[in-house]
Amino acid sequence: MASTACFVIVSKNDIPIYEAEVGTAPRKEEVAYQHQFILHAALDIVQDLAWTTSAMFLKSVDRFNDLVVSVYVTADVHTRFMLLHDSRTEDGIKSFFQEVHELYIKILMNPLYMPGSRVTSSHFDTKVRALARKYL
Amino acid sequence: MEPDVSIETSRQIRVAILPIGGPIPPSYLREYTSLIARHTRVDLASIASFYTEQQKSPFAHQPWDTGSLSFKFVLGDCSASPWEDFQPCRKVLAVLGICHLPSSSPDLDSVSDQFVSACRPYGSALATRCFAFCPSDAQLAEKKREDIVLLASADRQAMELHMLTLVQELAASLLMEFEKWVLRAESTGTILKTPLDSQSSLGSEEVIKAKKRRLGRAQKTIGDYCLLAGSPADANAHYSTAIELARLTGDVFWHAGALEGSVCALLVDRVGQQDPAMEDEVKYRYYTVIQLYRRAFLQDNAQRVSTVSFELEATLKLARYLCRREHSKEVSDLLMGAADGAKSLIDATDRLILFIEIARLFGSLGYRRKAAFFSRQVSQLYSQQENVSAAMSALQVLALTTDVYRVQSRKNKKKEQEPSTNPPQSIVSLFESHWSTIQMVVLREILMSSIRAGDPLSAWGAGARLLRSFYPLITPAGQSGLASSLSNAADRLPDGTRCADPCLPFIRLHSFPLHPSQNDMIKRNPAKKEWWTGSAPTGPFIYTPFTKSSSSTGNAAKDQIITWIVGEPVQVLVELANPCSFELVVESIYLSVHCRNFDAFPVTVTLPPNTSKTVLLSGIPTEPGPVNIPGCIVHCFGVITEHLFKEVDNLLLGAAQGLVLSDPFRTCGSGKVRNVTFPSNIAVIPSLPLLFSNLVGGAGANVLYEGEIRDITVNLTNVGTSPVEEVNVSVSGKNLDSVIRVDNEKLGTVLPLKPGGEVSFTVTLKAWQLGVADTDSDARRVSREGSSPYLVIHYAGPVGSNPEEPLPPGRRLVVPLNICVVQGLRFVQARLLSMEIPARFAQQHSSTEPGPDSVKTLVKIDPYKGSWGLRLLELELSNRTDVVFDLTVSIEADDTAYHKTRIDRDYSARVLIPLEHFKLPVLDEISSKPELNASISALINKIKVRWHSGRNSHGELIVKEAVQQALQGAVLDILLPDPLTFGFRVEKGGDPIRACEVTALEAVIRNNTKETIRLSLSVNCKDVAGENCCEGHDATVLWAGVLNNIPLEVPPLKEVVHSFSFYFLVPGDYSLQASAVIIDAIDLLRARARSTLPDEPIFCRGSPFHVQVIGTT
Repeated sequence: MASTACFVIVSKNDIPIYEAEVGTAPRKEEVAYQHQFILHAALDIVQDLAWTTSAMFLKSVDRFNDLVVSVYVTADVHTRFMLLHDSRTEDGIKSFFQEVHELYIKILMNPLYMPGSRVTSSHFDTKVRALARKYL
Repeated sequence: MEPDVSIETSRQIRVAILPIGGPIPPSYLREYTSLIARHTRVDLASIASFYTEQQKSPFAHQPWDTGSLSFKFVLGDCSASPWEDFQPCRKVLAVLGICHLPSSSPDLDSVSDQFVSACRPYGSALATRCFAFCPSDAQLAEKKREDIVLLASADRQAMELHMLTLVQELAASLLMEFEKWVLRAESTGTILKTPLDSQSSLGSEEVIKAKKRRLGRAQKTIGDYCLLAGSPADANAHYSTAIELARLTGDVFWHAGALEGSVCALLVDRVGQQDPAMEDEVKYRYYTVIQLYRRAFLQDNAQRVSTVSFELEATLKLARYLCRREHSKEVSDLLMGAADGAKSLIDATDRLILFIEIARLFGSLGYRRKAAFFSRQVSQLYSQQENVSAAMSALQVLALTTDVYRVQSRKNKKKEQEPSTNPPQSIVSLFESHWSTIQMVVLREILMSSIRAGDPLSAWGAGARLLRSFYPLITPAGQSGLASSLSNAADRLPDGTRCADPCLPFIRLHSFPLHPSQNDMIKRNPAKKEWWTGSAPTGPFIYTPFTKSSSSTGNAAKDQIITWIVGEPVQVLVELANPCSFELVVESIYLSVHCRNFDAFPVTVTLPPNTSKTVLLSGIPTEPGPVNIPGCIVHCFGVITEHLFKEVDNLLLGAAQGLVLSDPFRTCGSGKVRNVTFPSNIAVIPSLPLLFSNLVGGAGANVLYEGEIRDITVNLTNVGTSPVEEVNVSVSGKNLDSVIRVDNEKLGTVLPLKPGGEVSFTVTLKAWQLGVADTDSDARRVSREGSSPYLVIHYAGPVGSNPEEPLPPGRRLVVPLNICVVQGLRFVQARLLSMEIPARFAQQHSSTEPGPDSVKTLVKIDPYKGSWGLRLLELELSNRTDVVFDLTVSIEADDTAYHKTRIDRDYSARVLIPLEHFKLPVLDEISSKPELNASISALINKIKVRWHSGRNSHGELIVKEAVQQALQGAVLDILLPDPLTFGFRVEKGGDPIRACEVTALEAVIRNNTKETIRLSLSVNCKDVAGENCCEGHDATVLWAGVLNNIPLEVPPLKEVVHSFSFYFLVPGDYSLQASAVIIDAIDLLRARARSTLPDEPIFCRGSPFHVQVIGTT
């Protein structure tokens, strides 16, 4: 498992609707903030890149120092799964994104969930963390 | 590393501008430098006049027509770079001194000396000039000096022209210096070194190599000077040679430098051309340059000196060249590569410059988030420097990022939003990019750096934004910490400082409690005298579909027009919320008004932790015109801020949609979201009169018994500031008929009612009858609330002199007449009684008018009409009250009053009302129902039962319905007269009738119909026992004349007299009675007699007449 990994789902309004630090490195507040800043900055590149390819998995789109941002864009190009990581296992990341996408679709199908609002399901959180342990 | 590098940098002549002779006031310094710095490009053609070719120019291909020189002006010190030999553009090639003479010493010699010593560190300078501005007249008068150029004060245009000439002259002399330098270098050669070379060990092989290298380096440097001199063709030729030589000698670093120069020469040569082929060429060459610089990186001297900065500069130059939308991928790759290189930079300043340049390039590429990210990196680097100016720089850089992270101060936000007038597409767009973690960090960094930079206002602003937007994410301790840093910042600010960013509390509009006087304004209809009519929907229906639709189609809140009046205080309720865990003291809060016609009154509020409070804010409009109140001004934490209602509304809307963190009002336990919007148009109109009403005897309820009549005095005072010129009083509401009389004539006489004037008038009330529904729990009947009528007083002030102007509105004052009706006498039942009372013939036959003593008798009998079948109405009443009632029955038409009937507490009593005097004079067909009803109500209205109780209370018993009910069946009998009236009279009146005398009598038959009636009359006489006295064997009365079957014909409405004589044998009481059979009765009579058979004889009988016969003595 990667020592550093930060997973964020960004809604169409560019608001993070789900955030999770899934790395094994001890959690430090300052570092976590830095992760969010890197992910936020990467949105500019994702915005351009998403329209140039039909693939959902955009691979690594951005990097800062040793940290790489991999992005998976859902079919409507509005929801972006962004993972900041320091590992290089692209296949694992792809599988991780695909499985999280399935979970996210289940969340979307919940009639009580308003698209674009925060994902607060603890079940979703548990599953995402389990997937992170499995693939990253 | 150097800031702001581009491919073109290689051709820029660096000129240092130094202030000479003491510090120059900033405004002058800015002016002088701007005068100089605008000449970054000087055309070769323009300097030709200053240029003299002393020897053959080495720049053989100089484009005198199209070429130009490029300058880069650097203000202040610039230290010499160790890489000057490698890139002459890094050298300071000229020094310009600027001197503001009024602030320096008056002695020009000392200025000159200072300039010379200031130039000393710039050994590389080929030309120096000192410009002295604003010389005094004395200085101008001195002999012209070579070393100082005096620039006399003139207008800007003249100064610019003057400066242009000076710069052109400087350019020409530099060009000549470049020529000299190149000629010298070509002839004698030059030794060029970089920090890379100094440590290299010089083996024999190395020495030979170094000689060869020297040649290549010289060629490269000559190329550089050609480029500076604006001759790209010459430069290119030298560069080509240099590249060849450098490749041969493996001088990688200089190879890269020459290649870089050649690209610049290419660009200068083809200036203005942008073809893809050239772009590819530039790209190809620059990637090579970058590769070469990377190769030049020597691991062994990496600690001491590094070529990484050249590699990064080359990368930035290429990125800047490509920086367009279509190359965004390539540029961002280049910049990401450059960012990676930051780790290899030794110098912190280099890293700072790198990040600044990366941020700038991302910004110009349109990648604002990337730019903000690197700006934040820059600010962090500044923050590490631990000094005030670095902290200020950090603060400024962070301020640039705020709009990307959406935490900008409202001050800047306004500027941005003003040009775009179109409203946001959706509410979601208001909350776009709310990445709370990032926003909090940025705000905290702004707060920290502004504290370090000593800028309390931006510290306050950042703290306020942080606390207001992110209080749910901050721990109670953190909240208190922020509160104290806000207070600390405020301590260092002067009193009354305003900040664009609101802090706490959250304020929303609660409601608009309208004073009734504000509501009761009525538009005057100039066409009507009764101007208040027509303003309200007229017509029989309460609900009119047309008025409804007009108000519901538009936005109801927008359509709502509120009118305020000059000088009359208004109130607005706002709700404040403090969702934080500390006690919030709002030193003052008042309505924020952006126009000058409103005085707002401040209040102080203290909000305990996690509470909300509703506060009444008031103010007085001072001048007519529109008023706009967008929010409140709050003085809290030592700073004055404006809180807009709209922002909180948006926040609450966002909270409702789950887009914002939380709803501050809900967390404070305040209720649901109310959607009160401040009406956009509040109009203030000139002052109007204002009446205040006062009911004399208190505004409390008047307790009245049913039917009680009472006068109430209404006092009106004009408390407004303009006179009342028109007043009209009308009555409205329920139980309207209880207001009998309004004495408003008096009002007309006092008009106009001046401000402060008073007038009173009387209203006469009669308490209504309580309904069944009014019974309360004690089975006592009391009128319900809201059933009272009210006076509506429409009044208006003076009409303006200008007929064009709309009329000032009138006003309405509603004076509720609070009447509480309690049950008085309780009506038990009403009965109709019939009595047969013979007419008193004996005493009163002669007198047609009733005698004065007959008033006292209960039943009056007209002897000519008789009283047969007298009907009495009996009312049974009970008194459940605790007062005594005296009743008087009177009948209109004749104002006879009968005995008073007293009904004590808890007693019942009966009142008799004779129903005798209502007969119509003529028996006629009452054909129509309304006619009948009118007759009946006329009958009933004549009956009045008045009562008195105690000293003051009096009234009238409301018995109409009871009477009507009692009379239901018999009303026709009461109203209609018999067709024939029978009467008797004595022919010689005056004397009593005696026994044993012949008494001549007359029977009078009156026809009450409009037809002639033929009849056969019979008269009989009965004694007290009811025996017929005239017939039979023991008749006691002898008679003469005809008594039976007398045929008579009575003309319509006329009387016929039939005479006969009686001889009474025995004194005593007798009764005479006449009867008749009507022959050929008409239908009317049949109907009256209620005969069913068509040929049934109609029999009429008069009432018996009483005859007293006295004996003969």
